[in-house]
Amino acid sequence: MFVARSIAADHKDLIHDVSYDFHGRRMATCSSDQSVKVWDKSENGEWHCTASWKTHSGSVWRVTWAHPEFGQVLASCSFDRTAAVWEEIVGESNDKQRGLSHWIKRTTLVDSRTSVTDVKFAPKHMGLMLTTCSADGVVRIYEAPDVMNLSQWSLQHEISCKLSCSCISWNPSSSRAHPPMFAVGSDDSNVTYGGKVQIYEYNENTRKYGKAETLMTVTDAVHDIAFAPNLGRSFHVLAIATKDVRIFKLVPMRKESTSTGPTKFEVQIVAQFDNHNSQVWRVSWNITSTLLASSGDDGCVRLWKANYMDNWKCTGILKGDGSPLTGSSGQPSAMSTVLGSSVQSSQNALNGMSQKGQLE
Amino acid sequence: MSGSKPDILWSPHHPDRYVICDSELGLYRIGPVGSAEAKAGTLPLSEETAATLLAINSDTPYMKCVAWYPKHEPECLLAVGQANGRVVLTSLGQSHNSACKELVGKEFVPKHARQCNTLAWNPVDSNLLAAGLDKHRADFSVLIWDISSKLSPETSVAAEKIRLSSVDLDSSTVVTKPLYELGQNDACLSLCWLLRDPKLLLAGMHRNLAIFDLRNTSQKTFVNTKAIQGVTVDPHFHDRVASFFEGQVAIWDLRKFEKPVLTLTEQPKPLTKVAWCPTRTGLLATLTRDSNIIRLYDMQHTPTPIGDETEPTIIERSVQPCESQIGSFAWHPSSQNRMVVVSATNRVMTDFTVFERISLAWSSTTSLMWACGRHLYECVEDSAEGVESMIEKDIATKMRERAQSRYGHDTVQVWRNHLLAGGKDAQLKSLWHDLFYILSVSHMKQCAEDMELKLQGNVQSVVYSGIKNIVKTTSGTTESRRCWIGSDRQTDVLRYHSEERCLALRLCGWISRGTDTDVENFLRSLEQEHEWERAAAVALFNLDIRRAIQILNKGAMAEKGDLNLNVVAMALSGYTDEKSSLWREMCSSLRLQLKNPYLCIMFAFLTSEPGAYDGVLYESSVAVRDRVAFACMFLNDAQLPRYIDRLTLEMKEAGNLEGILLTGLTKDGVDLMESYVDRTGDVQTASFCMLKGSPGEVLKDPRVQCWIENYRNLLDAWRFWHKRAEFDIHRGKLDPSSKPLAQVFVSCNFCGKSISYSCSTIPHQGRGFSQYGVSGSPTKSKVTSCPGCRKPLPRCALCLMNMGTPVSNCQGTGKSDEKVDLTRENKLAQFNNWFTWCHNCRHGGHAGHMLSWFRDHTECPVSACTCKCMQLDTTGNLVPSDSS
Repeated sequence: MFVARSIAADHKDLIHDVSYDFHGRRMATCSSDQSVKVWDKSENGEWHCTASWKTHSGSVWRVTWAHPEFGQVLASCSFDRTAAVWEEIVGESNDKQRGLSHWIKRTTLVDSRTSVTDVKFAPKHMGLMLTTCSADGVVRIYEAPDVMNLSQWSLQHEISCKLSCSCISWNPSSSRAHPPMFAVGSDDSNVTYGGKVQIYEYNENTRKYGKAETLMTVTDAVHDIAFAPNLGRSFHVLAIATKDVRIFKLVPMRKESTSTGPTKFEVQIVAQFDNHNSQVWRVSWNITSTLLASSGDDGCVRLWKANYMDNWKCTGILKGDGSPLTGSSGQPSAMSTVLGSSVQSSQNALNGMSQKGQLE
Repeated sequence: MSGSKPDILWSPHHPDRYVICDSELGLYRIGPVGSAEAKAGTLPLSEETAATLLAINSDTPYMKCVAWYPKHEPECLLAVGQANGRVVLTSLGQSHNSACKELVGKEFVPKHARQCNTLAWNPVDSNLLAAGLDKHRADFSVLIWDISSKLSPETSVAAEKIRLSSVDLDSSTVVTKPLYELGQNDACLSLCWLLRDPKLLLAGMHRNLAIFDLRNTSQKTFVNTKAIQGVTVDPHFHDRVASFFEGQVAIWDLRKFEKPVLTLTEQPKPLTKVAWCPTRTGLLATLTRDSNIIRLYDMQHTPTPIGDETEPTIIERSVQPCESQIGSFAWHPSSQNRMVVVSATNRVMTDFTVFERISLAWSSTTSLMWACGRHLYECVEDSAEGVESMIEKDIATKMRERAQSRYGHDTVQVWRNHLLAGGKDAQLKSLWHDLFYILSVSHMKQCAEDMELKLQGNVQSVVYSGIKNIVKTTSGTTESRRCWIGSDRQTDVLRYHSEERCLALRLCGWISRGTDTDVENFLRSLEQEHEWERAAAVALFNLDIRRAIQILNKGAMAEKGDLNLNVVAMALSGYTDEKSSLWREMCSSLRLQLKNPYLCIMFAFLTSEPGAYDGVLYESSVAVRDRVAFACMFLNDAQLPRYIDRLTLEMKEAGNLEGILLTGLTKDGVDLMESYVDRTGDVQTASFCMLKGSPGEVLKDPRVQCWIENYRNLLDAWRFWHKRAEFDIHRGKLDPSSKPLAQVFVSCNFCGKSISYSCSTIPHQGRGFSQYGVSGSPTKSKVTSCPGCRKPLPRCALCLMNMGTPVSNCQGTGKSDEKVDLTRENKLAQFNNWFTWCHNCRHGGHAGHMLSWFRDHTECPVSACTCKCMQLDTTGNLVPSDSS
């Protein structure tokens, strides 16, 4: 079912983040080489780098796309304590004909005094809003009041989380029943500081974000956090990358019509996997939140899928260098279940890929 | 490095060789596992690699430290420092080598015997070997030996200059005069040559780090610190040095040597080894005592010598190469991020590669991209179609495929939608049949006005409200005791009739029209679909044993038929209503062994007491519709609603779509669908299903609106814009309130009035190019001037005609491919007439002319306008992925 192939990334240092746009036709990567690259997918499925430029004066940790209805807009954040917003323009030069597009910096957000560790656009129904979190434990929410003018961003909220923040995720639900909500994770490794995942919710009355929940059971450093696409479900699902992969379900309790406080959630842990046998670095949901991918310090990418009983299982393991995982390890049958009938072809494809890798 | 604790050294030049030293030296070669040269004696190091022991050297007892000669020739030359301070040159498996022969066995003896702590070969001037020793009164603790002192006259001349010469003591191989003596009245614990200048030697002395310059041995630079163990230079950044003390690592910058630029978080246990990764910048591996993890520090930034006070960010990681406690480790000199680890005991070795942290992302079309180190990998879903793979497919893929096959769009033969969905999902099949029956019943009711039902007036809502609500209002139930068909024996089975029950049966699909209770049509259709057991059960419940037997016989005879059905038919034919008969006794116990649920419930029905049909009603593998139909026939007015309520609740909790039959498209139905969506994420089915409920209250339910919005969003993300538009049209037909209002009007430049009477718009995204139809039906009227003030409309930038004049077919460029496109263009002819313009430069013209212009040009056709109209909107340049 899944076949891996390598793409010549041509970054000069570690790639820290990859991000797809809304349609999955464009991709952005960022790296310790202080640059961001934009990739476009051609009709035959090949990725071509169409822009590469120096964005920051430090490692670029994360890059993310705005919804295309706001234009072709990227945000990046860096060790250099800033976040930046970039927009693609069609300039006077014939860049497009050379297959290169032109990205210009619309703004630099300089409020943080420490490394900006994550940057995310809020769901589009909230307008054009950008959130950053930084190593000093502050989450900042910016808004572009005029979507035609991306050089003006006003700092709307500044939320202190007390702990060094490493990652942030918006609840993508556009349902009116769910007020705006985001989760922030901390990579503070001191387990005595308590829960490392905090969930904040917007309160219509106070017009402020208030803490709705702290996941007290997550006491180890959190490296990544991801709300699942809600897709009209009545609850929220949150994946957490810490010393293991965890999936939490947040079921909003029926709200009393009189109460104005934050929504109460029934927090259920749905799954907890230590198959990576090491720190888990990233988690990512597919569009229907039925597949979760995780990566860990064991150098593997694992795919997780729930059956109809909400039992999550590992359905695939891929090695980080794209090489096939030989049968003798961990879960020998796992690969074949996800790859279904195409194990043979995928093996061939992987071999083909590694040859390609040598050519580079 | 005591005798028991092992250490590893990679060969500087052979990427497949390394030495393990504990009480003896062992040379290993690493190779792929299972290769042709692999012998029985290989030790597996990982899944792919294994090591072969090449040579053992146990000539040198009391080993304290080992260093590998850095040059190519002679290879496999090792210096061993012993507990008595002697340094011995030795070799492994290379004794035939002549260059080696003269060196091997050479001993360098200090004046006073004390432990040799460390050895370091000069990387450039490889004759120089530095040895660090323990303190002995006021003696020197850093001795630099020249291994070639006997061999080349030049060096001995040079040596004599500085009053040093080698003197043979007991044998010709012993050297007692070092080239340099440094570090008087001190102890030396660690040494390394600085890479930026090979004349500089960095030494970890008793309480300070010292840099000795061989050009001026009287001077040294030093800094007082406790962190004096394991000094090592970053091979990628020659001014960066790491050293440690107990559990703490200090990172130094030689350009500002006063204090460490960085200290790493302290470990609870003392460190034993610290090593920079030779293949990757800024990666430091550390090992503590009694531990099975290696801690890695990824220093993301090369330190700057001045100014910047920010600490470089460090990503701290720990890796666990093996289960047992680690004795030592060594980075592979050239293979990226690879190391070999040896356990503290038993010399168990592990080949291990430290992976870079992988970041990953799913695209909307379920392909996974991840970045590992400097490389990108894309993992796409294999498009290979397979019948069996459909079961495994993710709902996202399923929904995409179903959208392509126009799932949900069959509004006439509604049940066919489950075939469009692939025809494999039993719940979808049930759902679409339910909807089909609901729609056909409601349709029939509307047509047949002579139907004398007291339910009239709100028939529609009753039909939509599901069997649960239908049977609740049941009244005027009659009961009858009928004969078995084809025999005049009375049954003791009570069968209930009422109009509501009849309607329910029709919704179950058992009977097709009127109040006629004939199921013959239904039986025939089941026979056609080869559902023999089900048909037989339905016949039996209609008290027609003969028909049931006949069906079973037919089933046994049919192609691929099950001959066992004949056996069942035989058993059936022996039916007797005698309470204590052997038949009854055997059937009620043996029926549980029947695999087919329908055969099972047939005997359950025949053997149960009248009115107590739990064996049928709670057989969960029987379709809900059949159980409900059965209940409607044989449960009395008290039992029936209770049973239906219970079943409804069960279906709602499970999110089982079969339950839509019970709930109908009511709030209950939305609840049920909610738990289905919660479970599966299948908003597609939810949207299409709930749209069928219009015009009803369900569409106003925010949850339903949310599903519809989410489904439309999915289609947009997949660039299935045509499908999305078709869905919107479909939705608009069923739910007129969802039609969007006109969004754009064109007003006359002169009078400001709208220039068209009826406006139709094309929804557009982004801030770029948009199109607009001037007149709703271009054939009806030619409008070349404003209907309000009669001033002419703007001219097309290309043909210079006023807008509103039909577009000329001549495209000017005369390209051959346009002739091929002729039919396509005819199709678009009406659109060609439309007025389009660029939002940016405000120039425009006939859509057809504009499109053909921008096929060959990037800039606006108006002179001196350099606007790149067509490229302004990136989304506009994307091609829908569902266009045919």
